[in-house]
Amino acid sequence: MRFQNWLFTIPLRLRSVIRRNRMNADLNEELRDHIDRQIEENLARGMNKEEARLAALRTFGNLVALREQTYETWAWAPVERLWQDILYAFRSLRRAPLPSAVAIVALSLGIGLNTGVFTLLNAMFLKPPTLKDPRSFVQLFPQYSGWFTGADQYASFTSEDFDAIRTHSHALDVAAWQRFPVLFEQENRSISTVQVTCNYFHVLGADRARMGRFFAETECTHGAHVTVLSEPFWKSQLGADPHIVGKTIQLSGMPVVVIGIAPSDAFIVGGVFLPYTLEPQFNHARNLLTSPDTPWLSMIGRLQPGFRRADAKAELLTIMSRQDRAYVERKVTAFNRKTSLVLTNGSFIENPAVRTNIIGVMALILGPLSLILLLACSNVTMLFLSRTIARSGEIAMRVALGAERFRLAGMLLVESLFIVCIGGALSVILAYRVPLLIMNIVDPSEANTVVIRPDWQVFGYLAVLIAAATVISSLMPIRAAWKLDLVTALKGREGAATVRSRTTNGLIVVQIALSFVLICAAVMFGRIPGLIRGMNPGFEMHQIVAVPLDVDTSSSNRAKAAVFYRTLEAKILAIPGAQSLAYAGLQPFNQDPPSEIRLPGQAKGSGQPASVDDVSSSFFSAFDIRALQGRLFFATDASATRADSAAVISQAFARQFWPGGDPLGKTIVMPDERHLTVVGVVADTRSERFGVLDGPRIYTLRSPSDVGGNLYVRFTGSTKPLENAIRDTVKGLDPTLLVTPETVWESLEAGAESMTSLAKIILIMASIALLMAVTGVYSVLSFSMNQRRREFGIKMVLGASRVSIFRSVLFHTTKNIGIGLICGFALAEPALLLFNRLLSRSPLPINRFDPTVFGSSALLLTAVSLIALYLPAYRATRTDPMRVLRTE
Amino acid sequence: MSKPPDLVQGTLDLLVLKILALQPLHGWALSQRLKQVSGDVLQVSDGSLYPALHKLEQQGWIQSEWKPTENNRRAKFYSLTRLGKRHLEQEAANWERISTAISDVLRLREV
Repeated sequence: MRFQNWLFTIPLRLRSVIRRNRMNADLNEELRDHIDRQIEENLARGMNKEEARLAALRTFGNLVALREQTYETWAWAPVERLWQDILYAFRSLRRAPLPSAVAIVALSLGIGLNTGVFTLLNAMFLKPPTLKDPRSFVQLFPQYSGWFTGADQYASFTSEDFDAIRTHSHALDVAAWQRFPVLFEQENRSISTVQVTCNYFHVLGADRARMGRFFAETECTHGAHVTVLSEPFWKSQLGADPHIVGKTIQLSGMPVVVIGIAPSDAFIVGGVFLPYTLEPQFNHARNLLTSPDTPWLSMIGRLQPGFRRADAKAELLTIMSRQDRAYVERKVTAFNRKTSLVLTNGSFIENPAVRTNIIGVMALILGPLSLILLLACSNVTMLFLSRTIARSGEIAMRVALGAERFRLAGMLLVESLFIVCIGGALSVILAYRVPLLIMNIVDPSEANTVVIRPDWQVFGYLAVLIAAATVISSLMPIRAAWKLDLVTALKGREGAATVRSRTTNGLIVVQIALSFVLICAAVMFGRIPGLIRGMNPGFEMHQIVAVPLDVDTSSSNRAKAAVFYRTLEAKILAIPGAQSLAYAGLQPFNQDPPSEIRLPGQAKGSGQPASVDDVSSSFFSAFDIRALQGRLFFATDASATRADSAAVISQAFARQFWPGGDPLGKTIVMPDERHLTVVGVVADTRSERFGVLDGPRIYTLRSPSDVGGNLYVRFTGSTKPLENAIRDTVKGLDPTLLVTPETVWESLEAGAESMTSLAKIILIMASIALLMAVTGVYSVLSFSMNQRRREFGIKMVLGASRVSIFRSVLFHTTKNIGIGLICGFALAEPALLLFNRLLSRSPLPINRFDPTVFGSSALLLTAVSLIALYLPAYRATRTDPMRVLRTE
Repeated sequence: MSKPPDLVQGTLDLLVLKILALQPLHGWALSQRLKQVSGDVLQVSDGSLYPALHKLEQQGWIQSEWKPTENNRRAKFYSLTRLGKRHLEQEAANWERISTAISDVLRLREV
């Protein structure tokens, strides 16, 4: 309709809404007038009175239906209908307050958890890290081919490349940063700093500091000893000291002056910011700032007005190809570097290096959550279904009187929309609370300092969830109403077919399957911390301290480094309690790729993989690893000639290479063609994955003149004093060196701790799921028992005992639970597979098929659902046959 | 079936507009007139006129007014509005074009 027409009809439409009654009366009078005139006409044709009336009515058609059709043409009839439906939904909600409340609570939990977690994921992964004009923000990811970084790796930029882009780009205003750990001396622990260019905050979109100021450009040119702190860091570590600006803090032995506090609402990740030109003063291993071929800077930028991302990309590619040419011409190395670039909006999910993993993680997090929502929906479905069946008489009557089935379906849809909307409105509260709760569980110290609020994307997600929940939960009731058999429904008795409805069986199966998946996840994660703490790795963990050292061992500094190590070793051994020192090539619970080991005479490529650990002769005694056969290393082994140096192998290695044979005295060939003689076999350890025996492993003897490697100290007595003593010793030798000595057990504990918080979250979700499953199964069963009362009554009259009825109900439900468990297993398997893929490089022992996990989850679920089954089944057997049959 | 098929529904609106363009009528008179002009071709129950009339009124093409008729009765008279007149002209032209096209096609002979 054209606009002016539309305008013209507004008064009419308004009138039809406002003066409804009047219009009704008008219509009635009009219709009556028509029929009267027809009657008169018929009389005039010579019919008698009764004939004339009947004939007039006949030619007129279905009066009720016609009136309805006319109403429909009046404006906003749909609105009115909707309003009726809402009123109806409200009345039926009031009629059954308890089941409705359960359904609403279930839904708001389901929707709220989903939106809450999505809020968190949205803030972490989907949003660009800036609040100011996110559309002009870009992050740059270079990809080098023909360089040592590997062709398909996303890397960072060298200082030279960054400078070239900064000076030559017109499209972008760029900033760069690098994370670097330092020792925060006030707290005596390692913290991660962000070394940034001095326009970093400006490019991120933060123009004003919360206190003080940001870096000035000159502070980067000469590397001033100044720092900007983030608000969370300032609050949690420095007690929100109001006079912090101008004070000095010590970082890895270097004093820096605090010049400002960055506001927390600007998405600034990190605690301590330093000018990037300070990098050489913190990093003793390498000077990255002047290194022409070490990429270390990550880059972000702002598009200048009038430029698009594609323009910037084209411009940067030109600059980088010029840099590539200069690099190749200048260098004598064989590298022929070629750079390509990816420009993103800065959000985590667009980071090309982690994109697939992030998508996987989101799927793994949102997947189980949507299962909770589905469980909630099945609860609501049950509510509506029982209501629909209870009302089948009324619905049949409506259909018989000419109500269209579409109209009925619409009514049911509105009813479920009504409930879902109430649940959705309640869930908004959760959407605000859940992120905070989760942050609190994960990291209580930072939870209150990070602001995460739902935004339009979250509410869009919420709307989608509500729509999905409405449709899902009303599908089955609509189907039930649609397929209603008018005749039986009007007679007031259900056919035998509907009693053992497939629907109720299906609902039980679905609920069991969904909650099975969630409980499996909970059991799996719940077990991990205990598994980590309770395992026996096969070596000493409590009395051995790792000393992570960061020393420049390049050939130019080698002599100095060697002196440093020798002095350090002597000083550490002088600490009371320290027993011995050991070096190892591998770190426990870190996975390194295995090497190919061959037997003499085997061609390259035909050997077998084994991990190689280059250890000092004191390694086995320090770690308490027993020799099973032969001997361990002697200190004199190291002076033997290269050709017949000794090797110690693990049991697994012996089994793999010489199954059943005696490995002692045999020769093996290392990847570098070194021939080693096996002198001893030691017990297998569990040092790669938690609680899993390592694969074949070979220990080679480290040359005493080597410097570097992982240093371990075996000690007796208590841990803390020794750790402090080691730290002070290292600091005494080199005041700028950062060390946080930890026993192997302590670092393991830290890992277990972080898993515990994750497990807690999953446990909470699984408990919610379990609760929903229980209420769901209970309501489904009590509904179907109610439906079958008459059947039970008749069975009893015919001689069935209460026990046999109870048994049949039990059998029937157990069968459904069984099917549900199988379906759940089929659902859980692919999820586990994905999970396994994501975690393939972590030491967590996640098996694809873990009978303990599946078994215990199935047991738990079965037990709980049998409890939920008991009451309805018991009530069914208490049926008094006489009373049931009397209602016939 | 009280609801006429779609094709007829469209033409029913057109017929109603056309008849009302000649003179304002009340519902019953209109139905008589319809029967008279269309003979038995339009198999429509009397009542189905009313939803159609109300729809046309809501669209602003016709307007209604209660007016006294013979022997102290009153009836709701429908008449065409200015908008309705224009709409009728358009629809009539449309109808003309389509029906000419259709009959042209139907008159084609095989060559």
